[in-house]
Amino acid sequence: MNLKQSLFIAIALSIICLLSWEIYWRSQGKIPDLDDDKNLWAVQRAKVDNATENDAVLLGSSRVLFDFQLDEWQAETGVRPIQLASAGASPLPIFHDIVNNTNYKGTILVGVTPGLFFSTTYPEASPWKRAQSRVDYFKDRTYAQRLNHWLSLPLQKNFVLVSTSEEGWSDDIDLKSLLNNISISNRTGKPQYPPFNSFAYIEEDRNNPMSEKTATDTVFANSIKTVWKFLIMGNQNPPEREATTNFFLADAKKFMERGGNLILVRCPSSGWIKGGEDKFLSREEFWEPLVNASKAKAYYFEDYDQFKNLICPEDSHLSAKDARFFTTELVRIMKADGALSNSKTN
Amino acid sequence: MLFNSLSFIVFLVIVLALYYSKLFNWTGKKRMLLFASYVFYGLWNPPLVILLWISTGVDWITGKKLSTEENQKKRKLWLLLSMCVNLGFLGFFKYGNFLLENFTHLMNSIGVEYQAQPMDIILPMGISFYTFQTMSYTIDMYLKRTERAKTFLDFALYVTFFPQLVAGPIVRAGDLISQFYEEKRATINQFIWGTFLLTIGLFQKVVLADTLLSDTSDQVFGAKGVLSGLDAWTGTLAFSGQIFFDFAGYSTCAIGIALMLGIILPDNFRYPYAAIGFSDLWRRWHISLSTWLRDYLYIPLGGNKHGVLRMYVALMVTMLLGGLWHGAAWTFVIWGALHGIYLVIERLLRNKIQIKINAINGIFLALLTYTLVNFTWVFFRAREFSTAKNMITSMLFMNGDGEKLLQSFDILKVFVLITLLFICHWVMRNTSMEEVSKKTSPWVLGIVWAVMFFLIAIAQGSGEQFIYFQF
Repeated sequence: MNLKQSLFIAIALSIICLLSWEIYWRSQGKIPDLDDDKNLWAVQRAKVDNATENDAVLLGSSRVLFDFQLDEWQAETGVRPIQLASAGASPLPIFHDIVNNTNYKGTILVGVTPGLFFSTTYPEASPWKRAQSRVDYFKDRTYAQRLNHWLSLPLQKNFVLVSTSEEGWSDDIDLKSLLNNISISNRTGKPQYPPFNSFAYIEEDRNNPMSEKTATDTVFANSIKTVWKFLIMGNQNPPEREATTNFFLADAKKFMERGGNLILVRCPSSGWIKGGEDKFLSREEFWEPLVNASKAKAYYFEDYDQFKNLICPEDSHLSAKDARFFTTELVRIMKADGALSNSKTN
Repeated sequence: MLFNSLSFIVFLVIVLALYYSKLFNWTGKKRMLLFASYVFYGLWNPPLVILLWISTGVDWITGKKLSTEENQKKRKLWLLLSMCVNLGFLGFFKYGNFLLENFTHLMNSIGVEYQAQPMDIILPMGISFYTFQTMSYTIDMYLKRTERAKTFLDFALYVTFFPQLVAGPIVRAGDLISQFYEEKRATINQFIWGTFLLTIGLFQKVVLADTLLSDTSDQVFGAKGVLSGLDAWTGTLAFSGQIFFDFAGYSTCAIGIALMLGIILPDNFRYPYAAIGFSDLWRRWHISLSTWLRDYLYIPLGGNKHGVLRMYVALMVTMLLGGLWHGAAWTFVIWGALHGIYLVIERLLRNKIQIKINAINGIFLALLTYTLVNFTWVFFRAREFSTAKNMITSMLFMNGDGEKLLQSFDILKVFVLITLLFICHWVMRNTSMEEVSKKTSPWVLGIVWAVMFFLIAIAQGSGEQFIYFQF
């Protein structure tokens, strides 16, 4: 047994294989990308514990994540907001956590995506569980997990081959995802989940612009629309308007009573999704009662001429360019209303 | 800290650099290893290091007293103190809620209205492992089977040595403490072999257990309905592979890391799925636990020295407690009971039927053993009895119209992998990895090594916790 020789062979071959793998995926259009996982979220959540009255926290679902661009917000207000919106999740558990487990009394902007905001208060339901699991992880994460995340960031930023995601996108390139894409027959006879590819690039502070491909490649954008249809048509659970509204109102009251500035925002949607939202989760039945009862400052995109014609490439989120415009304009509107202040000038 | 994490790689590099630097003498190196072991444990939950300190302190004092005390009564009292502290910790942290739940059930069943709030107790990682390890020292001291550790540092390092702290192998004092008395350095070959073992261990954990098998097992055991026989078997086989690769992977990593430091840890697995019969299985599966249970439970209960009936009782009690050691739930007790029953039946049959094992009947008997083991895994993995019942009936093909849950590729993947696992165990059952490696060309070994490393790198995973940490 010549172990030294084996070791040298192993090192040389490993380097060759890993380099080839990296080059291959880059040639397929992959670029190094961070994973919007619970660790990335927890780092931002930790900032709320030390945030001041001048700070702003963004909560909501993926629309807040895509539609609010942090650079533009910062340029307008002088403050870089803390992005805590969580894709596919209800904002209620995270708002509840901040209201009840911190003394924060700055600005909280809550995005109201009707299908998720009013979905449920049942702890085991996906929209709730996705958000709550991040809150729980933030509370329970170990020092080893923090260290792992900190060490993984430079790797994620520089190498495609370590790219993976907690979400489990169809175009992930880790071994498990590649194997999951193999199908030899539909044995269960159940409808198959359509391919759901990642359509944004997230940054370390969770600034999350939509990818250029989604904005410009109609076929690709349509593949995302197919997923929305699959998810929405497959959801048999009716919205829990009263339960969700009441749950939110209790926290909203507590937050505003301690001096917090609460803002509700309905971000743009278009096409088939907007049609469904207008019909089944209408403004009059869902948004208006929430706004009236909460007494929070509220902004509905259709109330503003500059937002009326914004088109979401995949019906639910703004392109990076439109998101920058939306953020700048909406922040200006909010400042004009006194809903937001400019801490620079203050 | 997990072996399959970036922080551990950094940690290990720092430890190795300090260990092989000329900064410290041997005592300094041991202190560094002890400190590193506390960091290794504390990065998970710092306050729980205190439990390690208490356990170490109590058993060090007990060992010291037992080495000089001749009065039998006092010796017993010292042993009792150590048992109470160690088993008290284990009882409180691991079985507190379980005992409370069962007490509540008992009260309610006899008509006494009693409700108790579950206690919010964290299960300290690896408590069962280090408790059993430190108890073995005290018991051996009491029975005068081992020498007292020469220094507190040696003893503390024995209790806390990071490669095997949280999931074994459970090492006896005689096998480990004495290695700390003289300076240890791995030879070049030992160091490289240790690195190779670490790679194999990580490959087993990250690629085979987490990437290829865990999802199928989780999907099947998480199903609410009754499954078809094929799905139930696939899920159970996937779990049998997952738990082997997970646990054997950890042990292999631990042995490899220790070897990189020049410390030799005993084998914990010897190709268990090629076992012929259950006595053979327990000589191959989690060897350090099965020998611990044999030496400190089965033999003190009478072993095979006091008649057949007493032997069977001792066997059953040992396996029931062995089951409970794995987790505070009745499903684990049933798992232990099934193994106990298998062992009893095997001994009964062995008295009546003599079989000369050859290649053909051997592989059949190994397959039979493995099949029966799979029925026990159902109870080990299922969180509720209703799940276990559904799974067992499906595996016996008594649910003809059970739900088809898995896709064809998942089934194919599991069956191919488990078949390879079984063949590999059968081929390797009378040899060792080291022996095979000696006969293998350096090129082939290098290529295999590179493939494993490459697959680990592209599988990476999220650092799923090793299953046995919870025990």
